[in-house]
Amino acid sequence: MTGPEFPVVAALDALTGALFLLTALGVVATRQVLASLQLFVLQSLLLSTSAFLLGIATRSIHLFAVAGITIATKTLLIPWLLRYTVSDEVYRTREIGRVLNIPISLLLSAVLVVIAYAIANPIMNAVEVPFARINLPLGMAAIFLGAFTVAVRREAVPQLLGLLAVENGVFFAGVAIVPNLPVIAELAAAVDVPVITLVVGLLTRQIHQRLGTTSVGHLSALREH
Amino acid sequence: MLERIVYNLIQVLVVVGFAPLVEGVVNRLKENLQSKTGPNIFQPYRDIWKLLHKDEIVSDRSSWVFRAAPYVAFAAPVFVALLIPVLTRYPLFFAFMGDMLGGGFVLALGGFFVTLAAVDTANPYGPMGASRTRMVGFLAEPVFIVVFLTVSFVAGSTIPYIVQTKWIAPISNFFEPSHVLLMIAFLMLILAEDGRIPVDSPSGQFELAMIDRSKSLEYSGRGAALMKWAGAMKFFVLITIFLNVLVTPWGLAPEGSGPLGIAIAIPLVLLKVFAFVLVLVFIESSLAKLRLFRITEFLGAAFVTSVVAMITRLSEI
Amino acid sequence: MQLAAILIIPAIASCFSLLPLGRRFAAQITVIASAIVLALAISVASTAAHAPFSGAEDLLTCDALGALVLVLVALVGFTAALYSWGYIATGGRHSLQDLQRYYSLYNLFLLSMLAVPLLANVALMWIAVELTTLLSAFLVGYEDTPEALEAAWKYVVLTTLGAVLALLGFLILYWGSRTAGLAPFTWVGLVDAAPHMPPALLWPAFLLILVGFGTKVGLVPMHTWLPDAHSQAPASICALLSGVETTTVLYVVLRLFPVVSGAPGLDARPWFIGFGLLSVGVATLLLIYVRDFKRMFAFSTVEHMGIILVAAGLGGAEAHLGAAYQMTGHALAKSFCFFAAGLMATALGTQEIGSVRGLIRSSPIAALALVVGGFAIAGAPPFAIFVSELVIVKAGLTSGQFGVIGLLTLFVVVAFCAVMYHVNSMVFGTPATDKPGSKVTMAVVPTSCKATLALAAVPLLAVGLYVPQPLQELLRAAAAAMGG
Repeated sequence: MTGPEFPVVAALDALTGALFLLTALGVVATRQVLASLQLFVLQSLLLSTSAFLLGIATRSIHLFAVAGITIATKTLLIPWLLRYTVSDEVYRTREIGRVLNIPISLLLSAVLVVIAYAIANPIMNAVEVPFARINLPLGMAAIFLGAFTVAVRREAVPQLLGLLAVENGVFFAGVAIVPNLPVIAELAAAVDVPVITLVVGLLTRQIHQRLGTTSVGHLSALREH
Repeated sequence: MLERIVYNLIQVLVVVGFAPLVEGVVNRLKENLQSKTGPNIFQPYRDIWKLLHKDEIVSDRSSWVFRAAPYVAFAAPVFVALLIPVLTRYPLFFAFMGDMLGGGFVLALGGFFVTLAAVDTANPYGPMGASRTRMVGFLAEPVFIVVFLTVSFVAGSTIPYIVQTKWIAPISNFFEPSHVLLMIAFLMLILAEDGRIPVDSPSGQFELAMIDRSKSLEYSGRGAALMKWAGAMKFFVLITIFLNVLVTPWGLAPEGSGPLGIAIAIPLVLLKVFAFVLVLVFIESSLAKLRLFRITEFLGAAFVTSVVAMITRLSEI
Repeated sequence: MQLAAILIIPAIASCFSLLPLGRRFAAQITVIASAIVLALAISVASTAAHAPFSGAEDLLTCDALGALVLVLVALVGFTAALYSWGYIATGGRHSLQDLQRYYSLYNLFLLSMLAVPLLANVALMWIAVELTTLLSAFLVGYEDTPEALEAAWKYVVLTTLGAVLALLGFLILYWGSRTAGLAPFTWVGLVDAAPHMPPALLWPAFLLILVGFGTKVGLVPMHTWLPDAHSQAPASICALLSGVETTTVLYVVLRLFPVVSGAPGLDARPWFIGFGLLSVGVATLLLIYVRDFKRMFAFSTVEHMGIILVAAGLGGAEAHLGAAYQMTGHALAKSFCFFAAGLMATALGTQEIGSVRGLIRSSPIAALALVVGGFAIAGAPPFAIFVSELVIVKAGLTSGQFGVIGLLTLFVVVAFCAVMYHVNSMVFGTPATDKPGSKVTMAVVPTSCKATLALAAVPLLAVGLYVPQPLQELLRAAAAAMGG
């Protein structure tokens, strides 16, 4: 089921996966913007750990490269970029008005996790790949939770972090199912993340300067009245 | 068969005897972490001793509930200690008297009586603490049940001894994603049920902010001693369930090891408890107490974590 | 070589735009660069109509469908650049740095859109699609008003979310193609590998890409960002976004159709038709209630994307030909509409339909442009969209899908009436009050805008009346590529 020839790695991968899911739940739930960022960094670290473990198990250099790139971009570069583009004031904010309060959003997250598992099940049964049993459903759950974060949070930085969390989820599933993606695609996808952060960060700064707030969820001037 | 009864009673004595010590260690370690000296670790024993020799004052407006509550609260953890694996890995004499859900209900019974007694006193802080405890309690109950049921689903039984044997072998069961999530959910539950930070401040003296402690404000003399002891025992019992069933089911006396096994198991169990206490103290010292209505979010997170653990287990991931 | 040149030239132009050589330099460079790109694109298309074109050691390829999209992107890129020359610099509101930023981003945005049909590797193509969003983010928010920033935010977040979802779909496709054999990860390779891929992999990948990139195309219910972004951006950017960017991403979705059809037992057509009809229906409903004329054109984009998707879903060479023709007509008409809308916004200072009345009296040129654009986009004869919609309906009726065609016709007719109603009330109708400044002088509008309008009207009218032979061949070849 989960790579019978690598029990230790499978066990550690399962541990990593559980914590990965927890951080995804945390990004949905935490109030403070800085805490969301720290949870996201932790999530990326767990992603690189999983990539590293799978690289050991499948002896694939590509996965080590993925792990390294993830650490470099998501754990180091992203927080630095955000600090650089978005003002410090944004970091000290706490989200006061949310679309849904925390217990309800957590309950909906649990429902989303169920849906993610249900969707991932037929895919896993189609092709036997070691570790896909763990990584694919947890990755899909993280994707759904990240998208939910974007929907539910009103502040700009958590919405961005939700977006990046979706990408984390995609790669978490990806390292198990495509361990040898061509390096050029890997590198380019890795470049994608800092560019997104840069663009969104600068946009956030512009919004902050122009509107005095980063509660982007409250912007609703454009609609049919 | 006789020795099983004896071991069972020894188990209860361990719980009754060492619970205040654990409380004392927690208090001292918390102070030490803040670079203070802290009270002696045997201080709770002295407190209980002192209280037992003091006069008891009981309001004549209160009913039998008030008088009976300390005894019920003391008896509840004692009963549960009969049921759970504290020292041994094999079931003892009373092991099949109740399962984990039964143990949970007995603990809840003790809490229920104490809550009623708090309302009985008509001291304004009593009912306030009682209603807050109920709020925490009703949110914590689903977590208890989901955790226990998930764990029992794996083992195919709700008796803690059997759960423990199924859970630890093979070792890969320990590292399952659902197990990690369950441990975290149960940890949050312990913090809530026992009134630790971030849910409640155990050393706070400000009655308006109390959740658990205000229920025992009215007691004096023997009643107060029993309530204090009962609180310490409940904490010890919860930790023991957490450690011996979920987290570190090793170090318990195996089948047929006789009195020597028991004798070795006692310090090992205490060692595990103190290690956990260290972790707990770290958690308590690094978090701040949550505002009252944020406790629902905390417990909601615990609930969702346990539900996700259950789903993960059921989907066989 | 030509393919590589198409990509390199805008990159160079972008760099040059950053040189501080006066306010008009960046605009001139951009116009020249886009003209060269247009010429190259037409030459590529004329060869690609007969056989797929390869270049740069198979890193870049171009078949008929890709060539069609390429030409459309290049054409609208050129006309929008010409339009921007006057439009962006009006009023001196924007500093030199702003202008430089605009043009360099414009060139890079054009580059990313040109790259989508050209890149052979599917993973690199995904990155190009992602870059179209990121590079246009600041173009959408160029006006720096709160509404523009809100639109830019929603645009970036929602479309990137969709693109990341689609990434998972592509990863699963890659997994599937690896399981099937060692086909290269290009569209051609995927079509070859599809029969051997396990359906349980192909199907979720298809759905993920449809929903993920469907967000960027503007399919309902993922369209919520589209009216905002396409109405708040400057008119030249709106023309690019509405006219060709959504078409480019729709091209990617349409490419999936032969891949999924190759697998036994999987049918993509109900999904295409379902999403298409939903989009057309909701867009039609919203067209009735819309209050801002740029938003009106944006909803019309949603409608047309839906129509193209329905046409692709109907299946058959005729329906696909209709889809290809519709793409062409839409790109030309929509860009023209936005040019007209930009003209009106500059002259009148407002984007509300309610406050524009009697345009024919105050500003005949704007009125004429609006009428032409409105007719073209609603699908009135003699414009191209009318013909393409007829082709689609006929194809649907001959293949017996009466229900779908019935619904489609109903929606299209209602949308036509809605658009005509709005255009009518803006062009004719008596002004409610004589507001100061309602007597509009067209002298306010820059020359280049008027010139662009005249220039863009030519192919718009021409393609509707008579489709030249090379274009016909290109359309037929593109339809064949769609069918698979």
